[in-house]
Amino acid sequence: MKLSLEKVVQPLESKGGSPITHGYNSLQSPMKTTLFSSKGTPTHFFPSHQRSHDRVAAIDMQSNSSSGNNQPQTSHTSTSRSSDSGEACGAGKKWASKLLSECARAISEKDSSKIQNLLWMLNELASPYGDCDQKLASYFLQALFCKATESGQRCFKTLTTVAEKSHSFDSARKLILKFQEVSPWTTFGHVASNGAILEALDGESKLHIIDISHTLCTQWPTLLEALATRNDETPHLKLTVVVTASIVRSVMKEIGQRMEKFARLMGVPFEFHVISGLNHLGELTKEGLGVQEDEAIAINCNGALKRVEVEERNSVIQLFRSLNPRVLTIVEEEADFTSSRYDFVRCFEECLRYYTLYFEMLEESFAPTSNERLMLERECSRNIVRVLACDEENDGGAGECCERRERGSQWFERLREAFSPAGFSDDVVDDVKALLKRYRAGWGLVLAQGDHHESGIYLTWKEDPVVWASAWKP
Amino acid sequence: MVDVENSSRMTVSTASGEDTNVSSFVNQGMPLSVTVPPPKKRRNLPGMPDPDAEVVALSPNFLLATNRFVCEICNKGFQRDQNLQLHRRGHNLPWKLKQRTDKEPRKRVYVCPEPSCVHHNPVRALGDLTGIKKHFSRKHGEKKWKCERCSKKYAVQSDCKAHMKTCGTREYKCDCGTLFSRRDSFMTHRAFCDALTGKEGDGYSIKCVVTSPPPPPLTPSTSVVSPGLSVQSSELAENPIGLSPPTPVATCLDASATSTSSTSSTSNVFASIFASSTAPPAAIPRRASPPSALPMFCGLARSDCPPTMPARRATEPPSLSLSTSVYLSNTLSSPFPAGQDHRHYTPSPQPAMSATALLQKAAQMGATTSNPSFLRGLGLPPSTNQDGNGNQWGDRMPDNKTTFAAGLGLVLPSCDVMMNSFSLLGNKPTTLDLLGLGMDAASSALLNSYGSTGGFNVGEAAAAAAYGGGGRGNSDESWDGVPERKPNASAASSHKSSI
Repeated sequence: MKLSLEKVVQPLESKGGSPITHGYNSLQSPMKTTLFSSKGTPTHFFPSHQRSHDRVAAIDMQSNSSSGNNQPQTSHTSTSRSSDSGEACGAGKKWASKLLSECARAISEKDSSKIQNLLWMLNELASPYGDCDQKLASYFLQALFCKATESGQRCFKTLTTVAEKSHSFDSARKLILKFQEVSPWTTFGHVASNGAILEALDGESKLHIIDISHTLCTQWPTLLEALATRNDETPHLKLTVVVTASIVRSVMKEIGQRMEKFARLMGVPFEFHVISGLNHLGELTKEGLGVQEDEAIAINCNGALKRVEVEERNSVIQLFRSLNPRVLTIVEEEADFTSSRYDFVRCFEECLRYYTLYFEMLEESFAPTSNERLMLERECSRNIVRVLACDEENDGGAGECCERRERGSQWFERLREAFSPAGFSDDVVDDVKALLKRYRAGWGLVLAQGDHHESGIYLTWKEDPVVWASAWKP
Repeated sequence: MVDVENSSRMTVSTASGEDTNVSSFVNQGMPLSVTVPPPKKRRNLPGMPDPDAEVVALSPNFLLATNRFVCEICNKGFQRDQNLQLHRRGHNLPWKLKQRTDKEPRKRVYVCPEPSCVHHNPVRALGDLTGIKKHFSRKHGEKKWKCERCSKKYAVQSDCKAHMKTCGTREYKCDCGTLFSRRDSFMTHRAFCDALTGKEGDGYSIKCVVTSPPPPPLTPSTSVVSPGLSVQSSELAENPIGLSPPTPVATCLDASATSTSSTSSTSNVFASIFASSTAPPAAIPRRASPPSALPMFCGLARSDCPPTMPARRATEPPSLSLSTSVYLSNTLSSPFPAGQDHRHYTPSPQPAMSATALLQKAAQMGATTSNPSFLRGLGLPPSTNQDGNGNQWGDRMPDNKTTFAAGLGLVLPSCDVMMNSFSLLGNKPTTLDLLGLGMDAASSALLNSYGSTGGFNVGEAAAAAAYGGGGRGNSDESWDGVPERKPNASAASSHKSSI
């Protein structure tokens, strides 16, 4: 769909005399008629909208003059912006979700004038440095724009390239450790999986853990310690890490060295391998993994299945089955971007719901000025662009396919084809509960009930399930 | 009088440990025969049971049973028959308390009924009934008691209670000085901490001996207590009643002792290894004040460690519980050969400075081209010595001055400053983002996406300018390139402030 942005904006640039009024007028009426009639709270929007238009007008005036010598004295910060938007959403706090949903609908209906208006409004109100609403507005706006202009792939590539350039072992380590310190989002899965792995491999002397994740091996120090202290005889552990993201690839060498040192420290005989040459997980093979006959295998899939192409997921699960592991641990975030992948609005709503939860969790977990939180939010922004604006028809040679999450119940259906659910023992559940106690309030643990009694456990944030962990055996 | 004298003498004689009558000690000619209370039972040395003792092997059921004596009326259980008898009195039931047998109780030792157990052998019998019961529970029994905080399991309730007294109060200290209240986060930190030194050239097993000879001054002092190089040893140093089982500790001790000594001799080598493996590190000033709580041996180790520290662009360990991290040096030094001195500034020493306040200050500053003074005006002395205040702002800002500025929505009145920072981009990325974008890249990416149309682009162009990035067209070129729309960018930057 070709969005005629040029058409709308040209009048503003070409006019010499009073571009503002013309542009203002041309935009004002659509705003009033098409947009707000559906809102239900027009009175609240109008006053602030006038204000935002005033600002827009002022900006237009200045941007069109080639001399940029108008130096306004009022300084603008994101804080003042948030106060404006605060008034704008006097009727409700969730102005961002309303506008964004509206815009998504407009895009799917291909209503170009409405799209332009909404994008413009969002552009005005959004900021990656504001409150949650502003951040969501900012990142989703980016994705919506890419969707409307069909530039998602390019945008995503740019974002990824940039991220890679400024990425290092130190920054990665700092980020992930800080995140684990303030939030159990990742450590929940670690503790549950480690518990299941230790129990399944108890008594074995040659262990082989295949770690398909991007957790940078932060899951394994506690497991190594447990192996060292649990029994009198410490087993030999071979750890094979499979990574696909180029960002992660670059630091795996350093991480491997650290893990080897740490294992030496713990007194655990240790071997470390990295498989990083794959473009995507569908290319994984038994031979490539270096699996040997006398090893007791555990496969740990943490946030990995969602990166597999939707059509290949079942075959990857079959591959896991062919390795005949003692246990297969799966950790995935609870969201469904898969079943709605051909329905843009539905997918968008789910995406918005999930990332709203995530952003709110981040905001409450980190300090307000945290750099780490900012980096995590930016990672989200890339993922949002990828899910919403990168279509599968575009070349998948970018390396990683869409991160199409599925809910636990959906993964359950896939996995039970090849495996049987193992559930977590009471000890492991107690361990997870003890873990959650160490974090701020708001986190909870829910055992999967009903039909899927043993289908796993959920980490909940303010009663909403956010992460699903499960264990499987052949 | 006489009695007093006699009694004092009696005391003397009793204290000598003999249970003879004191009649021989009377000096007044009157024989006194006093029975002295029997002496206290002598305890056998642990591990050496009395060879005359009767060896008893009790059944597992007996050993595990609690409250074997049950009242027939109310079913209340008691561990001893005596207690049950006393209880029966309350029900007006006939009761009988058994007397203690007159003859000297036969000494008994108990063996563990489990054949595979070490204490099954009478040579390793235990002398106490309670002891054998506890042993059997602990070793061969089911762990029914669980600590609530850490969910560690115990078979014997008293063990669990004893644990709960100290659970959560114990602190773990990493070599880098950070304290942890949680063991798991300590472990994870330790595995990735820069202070983790290792031995080069040996195999993976910790039992291997390090080849380099230990320098004499270090060996004696570190042979017993390792300077916390290994987790177990550090625990041992802190608390001899460690939680970790002895085996890994023992092995770690040996290894760590040697590794300490090797550290000093190979620290320079190590530093260079670190140096080569990371981005070209600048000389990081040694942290100003080492944590005062470090024990002596850590001080010893640390004196050898300095070469490793400056070379390593140490990242700030997560500051937890008690200690605030002083590792802000990492964020200060410029690892990139950008040659921009404006990157070298400390985090603000005033943690409470809000974004708005800084902004107002900046607005008052006016245009400057000299970066250090500009920053000083903002309260950020650009010295390279960090004062380390664990401030989060401090974490953020030094990444990139323009990032800092942009983060505040700051308008940099001087285009020169902006262009300086922009040319910085051309060299190398300045923000240490793992997964996100640098400011500059964000702006340019957004610009790319949003197009260069005037009205629509206003916000983003402004953002880009504030980030120090120039405006760009819709073209696909990568984000580090010559800005094409400088005037617009600078114009837009002022516009941003008016919003």
